[in-house]
This record gives sequence, structure tokens and C-alpha cells, in this order.
Amino acid sequence: MTILRLLFIPVFFGLVSLIPAPKQFTRFNFVLGALILAASSWLFVIHAHTKSRIFAFGENLMMDPLAALFVLLITSVGLLSAIYAAGYLFREGDAAISPLRLRRYAFFFHLFLFTMLLTVFSNNLGLMWIAIEGTTLASAFLVNVDDKKSSIEAAWKYLILCTVGIALALFGIILVYYSAISKMSGGERELLLNWTFLLDKSKSLDPQTIKLAFIFILVGYGTKAGLAPFHSWLPDAHSQAPSPVSALLSGVLLSCATYGILRFHILVQAATGSSFSGSLLVLFGLISVAVATPFILEQSDYKRLLAYSSVEHMGLAAVGFGFGGVWGTYGALLHIVNHAVTKSLLFYSSGHLLHHFQTKEIKKIEGIFRKNPFLGSVFFFAALAIAGMPPFSIFVSEFFILSAVFSAKRFVVCTILLFLLALIFAGFLRHAGQMTFGSPKEPHRPEKSFLMDSVLGLGMLLILVMGFYIPAPFHELIKEASLIVQGVAS
Amino acid sequence: MDTGFISSFIHFLGMMLLITSFGMIASPQVASCIRFYAMHSFLLALITALVAYTNHVEHLLIPAFLTLALKTMVIPQVFFRIIRRLGIRKEVESYVNIPFSLLLATLLVFLSFYMTGDGKILKSVSSREFMPLAVSTVFFGMLVMTTRKKAITQVLGLLLMENGLFLMAVTMTFGMPLLVEIGIFFDVLVGVIIMGVFVFKIREAFEGIDVDDMTVLKG
Repeated sequence: MTILRLLFIPVFFGLVSLIPAPKQFTRFNFVLGALILAASSWLFVIHAHTKSRIFAFGENLMMDPLAALFVLLITSVGLLSAIYAAGYLFREGDAAISPLRLRRYAFFFHLFLFTMLLTVFSNNLGLMWIAIEGTTLASAFLVNVDDKKSSIEAAWKYLILCTVGIALALFGIILVYYSAISKMSGGERELLLNWTFLLDKSKSLDPQTIKLAFIFILVGYGTKAGLAPFHSWLPDAHSQAPSPVSALLSGVLLSCATYGILRFHILVQAATGSSFSGSLLVLFGLISVAVATPFILEQSDYKRLLAYSSVEHMGLAAVGFGFGGVWGTYGALLHIVNHAVTKSLLFYSSGHLLHHFQTKEIKKIEGIFRKNPFLGSVFFFAALAIAGMPPFSIFVSEFFILSAVFSAKRFVVCTILLFLLALIFAGFLRHAGQMTFGSPKEPHRPEKSFLMDSVLGLGMLLILVMGFYIPAPFHELIKEASLIVQGVAS
Repeated sequence: MDTGFISSFIHFLGMMLLITSFGMIASPQVASCIRFYAMHSFLLALITALVAYTNHVEHLLIPAFLTLALKTMVIPQVFFRIIRRLGIRKEVESYVNIPFSLLLATLLVFLSFYMTGDGKILKSVSSREFMPLAVSTVFFGMLVMTTRKKAITQVLGLLLMENGLFLMAVTMTFGMPLLVEIGIFFDVLVGVIIMGVFVFKIREAFEGIDVDDMTVLKG
């Protein structure tokens, strides 16, 4: 298995899904593609010697432990979403979606996975920009599956805002290239945007230009990563997209954009030797948590509630990366993984809720537990988990991040964060309690789907286990990745 | 040709570039806005080719050719087809009237010359005044995007911004590596097509392409 072969898998299955064939074939092919992709990425990462870099396509593509972690994240959440979508979107009955739309959906789904994989495999920073713009273009059609007014509006906002953001990031990349080209001989032109090359030569880059570049990158990719105040597309797109897509957007797309910021953060650290980029990350992280809090407390739509919670968690991860150190970086990486699993689980259960209650309003839903004890308990515990309740996994990584802030002796930041997190916890408890308990109004019982329920069960198991125990190889991988982010590993 | 003539010709083209971007802001109809965009891209391609010729950076000729082919021919044609099928003849609707947006644009030009005209932070490798020109083109793109009501003019503003960034890359670094440059062209083309599809979807759902009709999602 090589990087190129891994990238080929989603392209192949995406194209096969376009074949006009019966619905069952599309569905089978759709899930099979995600399954093969996830299996081969795990095999690839396990067999690759984790500490070294693997290059492909003339050093334009590269996998190191940091990239490997994100590859596993993308393909695993991708697989869960694909299985869930096989039950959710391919359902029969009145709500059935036409085969043509499903084929198109399957195609863009695999294309979306491909662009995200390309993002994390890119060593060439320009190529990474192209891939991130590609994720916007591929997922715009996924946000708008049903052609309703609200979904078209969400998709349009998403397209325009993210493209403008990304255009600003392109300016940042031009600045990085400029700072490299003005200091070095012209013979290595094609190498000059390669991350590994820039990192080796980081001392000869102009610190002022690199700092200016980082500001543009942070605003540009930060738009995509959902950092406030550039997050305004996020709640719309997340609430209008079908649940499996929302899970992918929230769990992995935001993480991929954060990955883009991280690569530049590492460069700036190496080039300037200052905590300039770290302080900016902390600032925007705090703003994100603070902006998300009132919207979580006073929210009437449960999918938007989850979307704002994503803004909050991306902010927390940014704070962790900003403070850095062993705990902060490890905690932030772990937080990204845990958030991806927990948030996608919540979005899958929101798909169930929409199916059962036919509404997105929190006030109109009561007594999930009475109606469907399995769904009720999964939703309630997952909501508590995302709010940071032990023994679930999010608690562990939030604890790491907060202790990093605490050991950096930034007590004001720590107090603000704890206060906001307490408010968010209260908000989630109120909303989830109101939805879960009480007696249901209308006895509407849709048919059960084994596929969808099993995804919920699996996700619940994952967040519980990860709260107690992180498998040793996985722990090693995160540790290696956090060394790269700290700039310790060569 | 002697270099003095070519460099003053490049200066002339730079001024023409500024005039066409003013034209885009001043044009009262979508069709003329598209024509100005095509002219802008044509001048951009010519400038790129001349920079490549005078500085002996032959690899820049490929982006110059792609600009000529895609941005002056293919993309404007796509836009003309879209407005023909949408049947837009009306004037461009704007939140601020045209004289005021021209005033804003002039201020933005002053601002960008003030910020980058001295060449201290960002030195350009070829003609010096291209850096502020590129910055003001990016500003103009943002101005078009924020003040216009039609979804289609928002896309045009985005493309104007992209032209500005392209000019910036050419003047600061003689363009990005070829692989990246081609990838960006590919993204722009696919982006225009996808946004075009969405313009039609907006028309069907909202019975018009004014973006201020889109107010369903809040909070």
C-alpha cells in the first residue's frame, strides 16, 4: 500500500457509484468503498514505520505520524458515516430519495473523502490549499441534498464564505513562498513550497513575512475550521446537511482545516522561535469558546446546538495547541480525535431524532427515552459526554488542555475557560434533559434500521472505552504527532 | 524591442488594469460587468507574458496562456450562458449606489498605495507599482462581493479577488510553482461551474437571485 494507492481508492469507488444501476448496487458499492478505504488506511499506518516520513509523487505528498493520525480519523469517521448513510439516506418508503440523487450523493461523498485525504497527505503547501478548496467544492452538493430553500441558502453561504476565506489563505501561501524565494537560490523553485524543505531551512526565512503570512492563513483556514468570528457559515451548513454529512463536516472537515493551520504553526515556531502563532491561536480559541456559549445556552434547534458546540471544541483545541508543551499538544490532538467520535455520534443520533419526531426544534421533542430507550440513553449520555462529563473521553482531553493552561500559570485564561465550560455544561444538561425525559406526545413509530442502530452502539462504546484506556500503539502515534507539532522531532 | 519601451508599456497596462477594475464597479449591467472582467483578465495575461519575457522566466508563460484561455474566454462564456438562461437584463442592484462605491474604491486605491507602495514590507520583483495594484484589485473584489445583491455578481467579485492574488504572485515571486498554479486554475474553473449550478438552484427556490432574500437561517 502506498499513499497514491490509498488516494486512488475513493476516486475509484466514487466513479463506480455514478454507474446507473439499481439502488442496492449503489448502496453496496458506497459502503464497500468506505470499508476498503478504512481497512487499507489502518493497514497502511500500522505497517508504515511510524517515526519516519514516507514520500510520494516527488515529495509533494508525505505521511508522517501527524498526517497518519488524521488519515485514520478521516477514514474511520468516513466509514461510520457511510454505514449510517446506508441506513439513513437509502431508506425506502415516502421519504425515499431518487436513485439519481443517491448516485450523485455517493460520488460526492467519496470525492469529499478524497480531497480531505489529499489535504492531510500534502507536503506541498500549495497543493494543500488546492485540496482544502476542493473539500469546499465537493461538500457543497452534500450540504444541499434535498434542494429545499434553507439547504440551498446554507450551501451558498458555505461556498461563498469558505472560498473567500480560502482566498485570503492563498495570500498567506504567496507570502510564505515569497519569503522562501527571496532568501534562496532559484534552482530549487519546485521544492520551495514543500513543508519539509521549509522546515529544514526555517532559520533562513524572514520572520516578519512569515508572521504576516500566518495571520492570513489563520483567518483563511480558520474560516474553514469554524473559529469565531469567521464561523457564520458553520451552523447553517451543519444544520441543513443530512446527518451523516453533518458528522463528517463537524468531525473531520473542521479537523482537516485545523491540520492546515497546524502545519503553518509549526513553521512559524521554527522560523521565529517565538510564541507569536501560539498566542494568536489561544486568542482565537478563547473567542470561539466565548462566542459559542450564549448560542448553546439559548438554542432552539438541536442540530444548530451541536454545530455551535463544534465551534466551542475547535476553540478548545486551538487553545491547547496555542499553549503547546507536552500536555497541551497531546491533549489538543486527543481532543480532536475525541471530538470527532463524540460529535459524529451525536449527529447520527440527531438523524434518528429527525426520523422519529420529524422536527429539529428542541421544544417540540419530549420523552425520547420512553419512546425508544436505546436512542434516549445514547443521546443523553453522548450529550453529557460532549459537555465534558467524566468518564467519557472528551473529559480526559479537556482535562489535559486545562492542565496545560494551568501549568503555564495563565490563571485568568484558565478561570474564563472553566466558567464558560460550566455554562456550556449547564446548557447541554438542560436541553438534553428536556428532550430525553418526560412523556412523548405522539406515538409515531418508524421502522428500525439495524445498520443505523449499530453505528450508534459502536460510537457509544468508543467514547466510553477511550475515556478509560487509550490503546498503546494509538498513544504512541499521538505522542509522535505531538512531538512534531511541538517542533521537537526532526 | 528595447527594454525601456516594454517597461513603460507594462506601466501602461497596469493603469489599464486599474481602469477596468473601476469599470467593473461602475458598470450598471451584469453583462458589461462580465465584459470588464474578461478585459481585466486579458490585461492580466498580457502583463504576465511581458513579465515572463523581460525577466526570462519562461515557466510563467504557461499561466499566462491559461489566463488567456480560461479567464478571458471560457469563464466569461459560462457567465454569458448563465445570464442568457436566467434572462437577466435588469441593472445590477447594489446596497450602495454606484457613485458612492466608486468613491469607496478610490479610497481603497489610496489605502493600498499607502500600505504597500513604498515596497518596504513586500518587495516586488518586477515593476514596483504592481504590488499596490494587486492589493487594490483584491479590495475591489471584496467591495463587489459585499455591496452587490445578485448571487452572480458575488461570484464575479470572487473572481476579481482571485485575479488580484494572481497578480500578486506574479509580481512578488514570478508566480507559484507550476503544479500549484495549474491546480489553482482547475479549482477556479470547477468553482465557477459549481457556483453556476447553485445560481440556478437559488433562482428556482427563491424566484430570483437576490441574496438578501436568503434569510431563513438565523441564530
